[in-house]
Amino acid sequence: MATDNIKNQNEDYELDTLTNERLIKDHDYDGIRELDNDLPPWWKWLFYISIAFAIVYLVRLFVFNADDLVQKAEYKAEMEGFEKSQPEKVAEANFEVVLLTDDASLANGMATWTKICAACHLVDGGGLVGPNMADNFWIHGNKVEDLYNIATQGVLEKGMLPYKDQLSNKERLEVVSYILVKLHGTTPATPKAPQGTEY
Amino acid sequence: MNLEKFTYDNRLSKMFMFATILWGVVGMLVGLTAAFELIFPTMSGGISWLSFGRLRPLHTNAAIFAFVGNGIFTAIYYSTPRLLKTPMYSKLLGNIHFWGWQLIIVAAALTLPLGLTQSKEYAELIWPIDLAVVVVWVVFGINLIWTILNRRIKHIYVSIWFYIATWVTVAVLYIVNNLQIPTSLLHSYPIYAGIQDALVQWWYGHNAVAFFLTTPVLGMMYYFIPKVSNRPVYSYKLSIIHFWALIFLYIWAGPHHLLYSSLPDWAQALGVVFSIMLIAPSWGGMINGLLTLRGAWDKVREDPVLKMFVVAVTAYGMSTFEGPMLSLKSVNALSHFTDWTIAHVHIGTLGWNAMMTFGMIYWLAPKLFKTKIYSVKLANVHFWVATLGMLFFSIPLYFAGFTQSLMWKEFTTDGLLTYPDFLETVTQIMPMYYLRAFGGTLYFIGTLLFVYNIIKTVKSGSFLATEEDEAPASFKSHENEGWHRKLEGRPVQFTIAALVVILIGGLIEIVPMYLVKSNVKTISSVQPYSPLEVEGRDIYIREGCYLCHSQMIRPFRSEVARYGEYSKSGESVYDHPFLFGSKRTGPDLAREGVNDGVVNSYRKPNSWHFNHLVDPQKMNTASIMPQYPYLAENALDVSILESKISTLRRVGVPYPEGYEDSALADLAAQAKKIGDDLRSSGINVDDEAEIIALIAYLQRLGTDLYKDK
Repeated sequence: MATDNIKNQNEDYELDTLTNERLIKDHDYDGIRELDNDLPPWWKWLFYISIAFAIVYLVRLFVFNADDLVQKAEYKAEMEGFEKSQPEKVAEANFEVVLLTDDASLANGMATWTKICAACHLVDGGGLVGPNMADNFWIHGNKVEDLYNIATQGVLEKGMLPYKDQLSNKERLEVVSYILVKLHGTTPATPKAPQGTEY
Repeated sequence: MNLEKFTYDNRLSKMFMFATILWGVVGMLVGLTAAFELIFPTMSGGISWLSFGRLRPLHTNAAIFAFVGNGIFTAIYYSTPRLLKTPMYSKLLGNIHFWGWQLIIVAAALTLPLGLTQSKEYAELIWPIDLAVVVVWVVFGINLIWTILNRRIKHIYVSIWFYIATWVTVAVLYIVNNLQIPTSLLHSYPIYAGIQDALVQWWYGHNAVAFFLTTPVLGMMYYFIPKVSNRPVYSYKLSIIHFWALIFLYIWAGPHHLLYSSLPDWAQALGVVFSIMLIAPSWGGMINGLLTLRGAWDKVREDPVLKMFVVAVTAYGMSTFEGPMLSLKSVNALSHFTDWTIAHVHIGTLGWNAMMTFGMIYWLAPKLFKTKIYSVKLANVHFWVATLGMLFFSIPLYFAGFTQSLMWKEFTTDGLLTYPDFLETVTQIMPMYYLRAFGGTLYFIGTLLFVYNIIKTVKSGSFLATEEDEAPASFKSHENEGWHRKLEGRPVQFTIAALVVILIGGLIEIVPMYLVKSNVKTISSVQPYSPLEVEGRDIYIREGCYLCHSQMIRPFRSEVARYGEYSKSGESVYDHPFLFGSKRTGPDLAREGVNDGVVNSYRKPNSWHFNHLVDPQKMNTASIMPQYPYLAENALDVSILESKISTLRRVGVPYPEGYEDSALADLAAQAKKIGDDLRSSGINVDDEAEIIALIAYLQRLGTDLYKDK
């Protein structure tokens, strides 16, 4: 604190009565006085450390091209890390599209159907924006591969979205299996008029 | 000693004080309305001037320039003459300043809801109003500087340093950011485009926070805290160091608003490190404010004025720590585009700015009206209601921010986005939006209590129009002054020094962005917008779409998986102005028109856009987007299309010479195509409807990159 800063005993100075700290002479602005306190040491250190941080940061970028500071390198590393952690994704090409009939798969399929597909096809498959999935009429074929392909690629011009990036291949197969095994052949409450070819 | 008598005129302080109160209520009410619109999206009822995109700029402009602006002018017109022992230089200039500023606010309140906007955040006002702002700012500057030159105190006090820095910096920022070429009386295009425009804008935008919401309020703090508490300022040395460090460092920090954007790495890095270096200088102000109160804490317990100052300075300390943290790239990757930012800025405005202003007025109104505050108890209630309101506002938004951000980034074990549907991440945080509206309501109620209290106070007293004071006619001469003390005695040199200090950062960041070609890599397939798309883009700006939808896909796996290839700087070279956005209340639209067959982003048919714009809730019941039925009804105004094309050419968009003449025909042809397509889907629409232009623009977004493929 500034009180130990008294070098010249002859110099006249005032002390603030409440803190006993030294007031600066002739600093009086509309009655506002100023104390002669030094900068708090912790504040100085905070400032020094932040400056050191800045220097290190800039040197790492400009001199060493650190991978975590170069945006492109950071992105590349993230994407490569992802590719490595996804060996099963490579297997997409070998994925076998065969109708599933086991209860567990159909239950999973039903969950996906209710969460996503029902918005356009209704829960009971009667159709709304999307076609009726319960009747014998199919626009893009009635085989499990046909339905799987539609779920994967979508039919954009008609508003059917591709789900290859939202649902895994297993999930897509489960839901189309659910359509063919469970929904097909039922009688929906409000069936949409048939579309496509009768099979 | 030869004492001179003179009088202070309190009239302008009083007028600015009343204006502060009036616009404070207006600004907060508009903000509250916008907060409710997010939870009741159909509230605006398809009325254009009530929709969120139109009200949000009105709210921010009213809060910043009308409420806080008039508040700092109140402080400046009251404290400057007293600190310098001389009346303000000119009553006429003061009156021009006051009425000019209020007229500008009225003009803003009329134009912004009409959709007349430049789209740059906090710089939305159209060019004729910009000119008025510059004139009024110059008038204010002459009045301030002349008063300083007329002073009877040799050295200028730290408050005055901050007022000077405010004046010079705002002048520089405002002019540079608003350089534009008019296409008509009410419309213009900025001379900058894309990432360069973004850099200039955020250099401005960040320093509007620094030099309009911070430095003048620090000046206010340095006058009113010692004055009200009757305590000496903690450390003069700290004042010097933190003042110069603050104004030098602040100006560099703008790029932290563009982290992970297509801004080059070097500029982003400067934004990061200068933000971090700002912690200590900002806290210097907080320390000097709080430690000045040592010995007066017993008063703080009783006096609502000091209580508000303490909360204000604490909020300042919190947000100036949080700001640098948000500028670290790893934190920003999480916080940016979310409600976290909204929470952060409201700690600054509701806490720091508004509490300083309320405190000042609770102290000043009784002074100006020779009376006591009507009810100290009510002021205490206001203090608590406002503090709680601020917490109820911000804490839920912090939760909303990181909840939504984590949902955006989450992948399933199969490597797919867990929440591919953006709307799911909105629905999840709706309860937080309810709480925010509740917090905002509380805060607003507090403000109404404040208004009532001040009206009662004013009515109980009589206005003290002038006050006598006296001071020695000439300065005492001091020998052996330190260099800074000398500078304090030379206000012109002081002003020039401040100007030089604030110019350095801006020049080093902005100039290379223009001169160094490698900063914006050219992409040959990127072409200018078609005339219809130009008009559609201007509708996108008019409706404030950019306030809720970004156009900047960051280079993260989660964003590339959701939106498509990340945004490149070369893609926005014809974007006058840039429309990157700063908040994702809805999904990013940078690749809205793209169907690359690779990623999740798919091109929606024209009919989807039509139905969605007219009635978003029809497409998604949970959508919180406002309805835009009038876009399908209003005819597109193409009256200044030719001027728009030639102006865009002047600012660097390569339309062939004479293209103006065929632009209208091209526009009609493209509109007919989209109209035909819509009609084939059973939608009855005129080719001339505004919505056609907007759809054309949306379908163009992000597609240029894929043209060759």
